[in-house]
Amino acid sequence: MGPLARLVQKEFRQIFRDPLMVRLIFLMPIIQLFVLGHAVSLDLKGVRVSVLDPVPGPLSRRLSQAVWETETFTPGPPVATPSQAEDLLVQGRTDLVLHFPVDLERRMRQGNGVLGINLDGRNSAQAGQALAQVQAVLNLEAARLASGWKGQAPRPGGVTLQPLYLYNPELVSRYQMVPAITILLITIISAMLTGMSVVREKELGTLEQLLVSPLTSRQLVLGKTIPLAILSFGELAVATLAAILVFRLPLEGSVLLLSGAVFLYLLVTLGGGLLASTVSSTQQQAIFTVWFFLVFSILLSGFFFPVANMPQALRWLTWMNPMRFIIEIVRGIYLKGSGPADLALPLGMLAAHGVGVFSLALWRFRKRVA
Amino acid sequence: MLAVAAKEFLHILRDPRTLAVALVMPLAMVLLYGYAIDMELRALPIAVLDEEGGVRSRQLVEDVQSSGFIQVVERLSSREQIEPGFRHNRFLAALVIPAGHARRLGQGREAPVQVVVDGADGSTAATVGAYLEQAIALHNGRRLPGAGLKPPLRVEPRTWFNPQRVSAHFIVPGLTAVVMIMVCALLTSISIVRERETGTLEQVLTAPVQARELILGKLQPYLLIGALDTAVIFFVGRVVFQVPMNGSWLALAGYSLLYIWVALAMGLLISALVRTQQVAMMIALVVTLLPALLLSGFIFSHASMPLPLQVVGHLIPATWYLRIVRGVMLAGVNAWPREALVLAGMGVAITGLALKRFQKRLDD
Amino acid sequence: MRPTTESGLAVRAHHLSRRFGDFTAVDSLDLDVEAGEIFGFLGANGAGKTTAIRMLCGLLAPSAGEAWVDGLPISTHGEAVKRRIGYMSQRFGLYDDLRVGENLEFYGGIYGLDSAAIKARRGELLERLDLSQALDRPTGSLPLGYKQRLALGVALLHRPPILFLDEPTGGVDPVARRAFWDLIYEVAAEGTTVFVTTHYMDEAEYCGRVSIMVAGRIQALGTPASLKAEHGARDMQDLFLKVVGT
Repeated sequence: MGPLARLVQKEFRQIFRDPLMVRLIFLMPIIQLFVLGHAVSLDLKGVRVSVLDPVPGPLSRRLSQAVWETETFTPGPPVATPSQAEDLLVQGRTDLVLHFPVDLERRMRQGNGVLGINLDGRNSAQAGQALAQVQAVLNLEAARLASGWKGQAPRPGGVTLQPLYLYNPELVSRYQMVPAITILLITIISAMLTGMSVVREKELGTLEQLLVSPLTSRQLVLGKTIPLAILSFGELAVATLAAILVFRLPLEGSVLLLSGAVFLYLLVTLGGGLLASTVSSTQQQAIFTVWFFLVFSILLSGFFFPVANMPQALRWLTWMNPMRFIIEIVRGIYLKGSGPADLALPLGMLAAHGVGVFSLALWRFRKRVA
Repeated sequence: MLAVAAKEFLHILRDPRTLAVALVMPLAMVLLYGYAIDMELRALPIAVLDEEGGVRSRQLVEDVQSSGFIQVVERLSSREQIEPGFRHNRFLAALVIPAGHARRLGQGREAPVQVVVDGADGSTAATVGAYLEQAIALHNGRRLPGAGLKPPLRVEPRTWFNPQRVSAHFIVPGLTAVVMIMVCALLTSISIVRERETGTLEQVLTAPVQARELILGKLQPYLLIGALDTAVIFFVGRVVFQVPMNGSWLALAGYSLLYIWVALAMGLLISALVRTQQVAMMIALVVTLLPALLLSGFIFSHASMPLPLQVVGHLIPATWYLRIVRGVMLAGVNAWPREALVLAGMGVAITGLALKRFQKRLDD
Repeated sequence: MRPTTESGLAVRAHHLSRRFGDFTAVDSLDLDVEAGEIFGFLGANGAGKTTAIRMLCGLLAPSAGEAWVDGLPISTHGEAVKRRIGYMSQRFGLYDDLRVGENLEFYGGIYGLDSAAIKARRGELLERLDLSQALDRPTGSLPLGYKQRLALGVALLHRPPILFLDEPTGGVDPVARRAFWDLIYEVAAEGTTVFVTTHYMDEAEYCGRVSIMVAGRIQALGTPASLKAEHGARDMQDLFLKVVGT
C-alpha cells in the first residue's frame, strides 16, 4: 500500500469508528429523501373549504359538493354567520369560505349569479392557486347546472385548449424535487465534511505530523478528498435506488452521464471544502464558511424556486452558482432523458467551475502548507 | 455566569465568521428571500408553432403574449423542435395552432389548439396550463363575442390578511423561525461541543462554576444575538417589504423570546448528546434546521404532506411559532394561548432533558 | 546508522531568520549540531524555539538565511529532508480514534514502508517502548505517558538519522519523564542525533550540549557543565535564569 492508499484507509477507519457518524452518513439520505420527497411539494392539496349558506338549496349544495370532490379541496368546519367565518379564518381553522347569496337560483337564471369567496391570504402562493382552482371548478359546475335552462344553451365555437403534459403527466413536484435532493445530500457530505476533516487535524495537531512527513501536498489533498468522493458516490447510489424504487421516478437518461456530472460537481464541493479549510483554523469557522455559501447556493439554484422566476440581477448571479447547473443536469437526465448534447452548456459551466475551484484549492493548500 | 457569558461574547466578536453567520447572514437571507422568492410565476417562456399562419392565429398569439404572464420566446417550424427545446430548457411549453384554425372558427365550430407542456416541474407546468387557459378565455371574449359558454356565475373573491397576495408578506415573517433555529441551535451546539472537543470545557469546569451556570452563561450571548436577528428581520420586513403589522409588537416580542428559548434548548440538547463538532453540525442540520425549513409550513403547507410528516410537522417548535407570527402580523390577533402553551411545554421538556444529559455527561 | 555528512554535522543553521510582519521571531540563528549528539534547545516561551524548529523541519519557510539538515539545504531539498527526520511535538500528533497499531501502520505507510516492513518494525518498536499489550487499544484511552512513548515510536518508525522533539515531556509525571529520557539515550546511543526542546531544566542536564535562546537569538551555547562554570551557576535552573535575565 502506497502512502496515498494509507491515507485513504486511515480516513475510512476514522469515519467508520464513530458509530453516530456512520448512521448519519447512511441513514441521512434515506430519511431526507423520504421527508423532503414528500414534504417539499408545491402541489395544492387539502385546502379546507367552509360554506356559508343562509338558505341552503339544491344548487348551492351541488356547487359546494363539486368543490369538495376535487383532490385539492376538503370540507372545512360548517359556518353559520359571517362573523363566525371571520373567526375561523383568523384562527386558521379554515382556508376558504364560500358565501352563497340567499337568492342564488333566481340570480343565476337572470344571468347575474354572484358568489362571495373569503380566503386566507397569509400563504400567498397557496391562496392564489386555490382561488384560481376553485373558480375553475365553480364555473364548470355552474355551466353544467345552467345548461338545461332556457336561454342558457351552450353556444358553439371558440378556441379551446388541449393540454398535453410531457414527462410528468400527473404534475407532481416530487418528480423534480427528488433528483435535486440527491444533489443536496452530496453537497453536504462532501463540502462540509472535507472542510471539517482537514481543520480537525489542524485543531488536534495531527496535520503538523503529516506535514513533516514526506507526503506531498497533492497526496494529502487526494487522501482527504478521495474517501469523501467515494462516500458521495455511495450516497448517490443509495439515493438513486431510492428514487427509482421508492419514489418511482423514471431514470430516463444515462447513469454514466449522471455519474460524470456528479464527478464534476464533486470537484466543486470537495475543492470548496478544502478552500474553506485553508481559511479556517477551527472546525466552527470551517462549518460557517461552507454553510454561508451553501445557504445562498441552495436559494439561487432553482431547487425550490425556478431560476426563470427570479429578478434579472439574481438570474445573472446564478451563473456563478455551480449547484444551479448540476440541478439542471440531474433533472434533465432523470426526467427528460437529456443527453450530453442537450446538456452541453450546463455541463461545460459545471466543468469550468469544478476545474477552477479544485485548482484554486490545490494551489491555496500548497501555499498554506509550504 | 456573567464571566462565562462575557468570554463567549468575546469569542463571537473576535471571530468575524461567527459574526457573519450570526448577523450578516440573517440579513442577507431576508433580502434574498424577500426578493428572490416570488411564487407568483410571470413571464413564463413558451414557444409557438403556428401551422396556420393566418390572421386569426396571429391574433391568438398576440392575445396570449399580451396577457402579461406569458412570453413567446421562440417560433417553431415543426413539432420535432419541441422536445429538444424542453431538454435545453429554452421554453416551458409549446402552443400548437393547427392548420384550418380560421376555417373551423368561420364555420362556427370549436377550434382546438394544443399546448405541449414540459411537465418536469409539476407546479410550474400546472401554472403554465392555467395561464394559457385564462389567456384563451380572454381571447375568446375579445375576438369571438358570443362564442363559447358564458359563465352563469360570477365570483367575487376577497383575500384576507394579504389582499395582494404578496409573497414577501408570507415569507419574511416566517423566516424568523428558521433563522433563530440556525443561530440558536446550530451556533450554540457547535460552540459547546467545541469546548469539549478541544478540552477547554474541563478547564473551565475546574474553576468554581457550576455546570448549570456555565451552560446558562454560554447561552446568553446567543439569546441576545437571536433577539437581535429577530428584530432586524422584522425591521427589514416592515421597512423594505412593507409587511403589515396588524397586531401588537409587545405580544410578538414575548412570543419570539419564548421561541428563542426553545431553540437554544435544542442546541443545548444536541451538544449534550454528541462528542464531535462534525456530528453536532450534522445533527443540528438534519434534526433542527431542515425540518424548520421544510416541515413547519414556512413555505410548504402541511395539508399537502402525507400524514406521518404532518405529525412530525406538529412536533416542530417552528410550526407553532410560525402560526403565531403570521397571526399577529397579518391577521392582527394577539392572543395565541394554545400555540404559546405548546411552545412553553416544548421548552420545559427540552431544557430539562438537556440539563439532565449534560450533568450526566460531565459526571462521566 | 549511515554517516550524516562529510563534516559530521546533523544540523547546521547559518543566519537563519524568520519574521512575522514587524516581529522577528528568529534573528540570524547560527548553529552546528554534531551527528549523534543530544542537543538541548532551550529558551523561555516566545523566545523563538518553536519557530526555529519548524523551519528546520520544513514546516515554515525562512525569511532569510539557510539551514542544512543531514547535509541537505532545507530551501531546495525540503522533501528529502523530511525523509531524514523524525518529529514529535508536544501535541503528539496521534489519532485518538485509531488504535495504537493503526496509528503506527498509518504513519509507516505515509513514509513509504511496505506492509511487511511496517509489521516487523511495529512489533520491534512496541516491544522496545513496552507497549506490546496496547496494540489494539484505542489511542485516546491511553494514559499520557503511553501516548508519549507511542508518539516517539511514530517518530522513529522510518529510522530517521535525526530526531526533532518539541517539548516531548509536557504534562507527564517525573517517573514517565525519566523513563522517556532513558529511551532517548538508547536512541542516541545507536547514532541518532536528538534535537530536543524542553521547559524542564533538570532534563537539560541530560543533554550533551545546550543552547539558550533569548528574543530570537542564541545567548549561550555549550555543555551544561561548561555553561554553568562560565556563568557561575549552581544548576541549570540558575543558569537559565541568569542567561535569560541578562
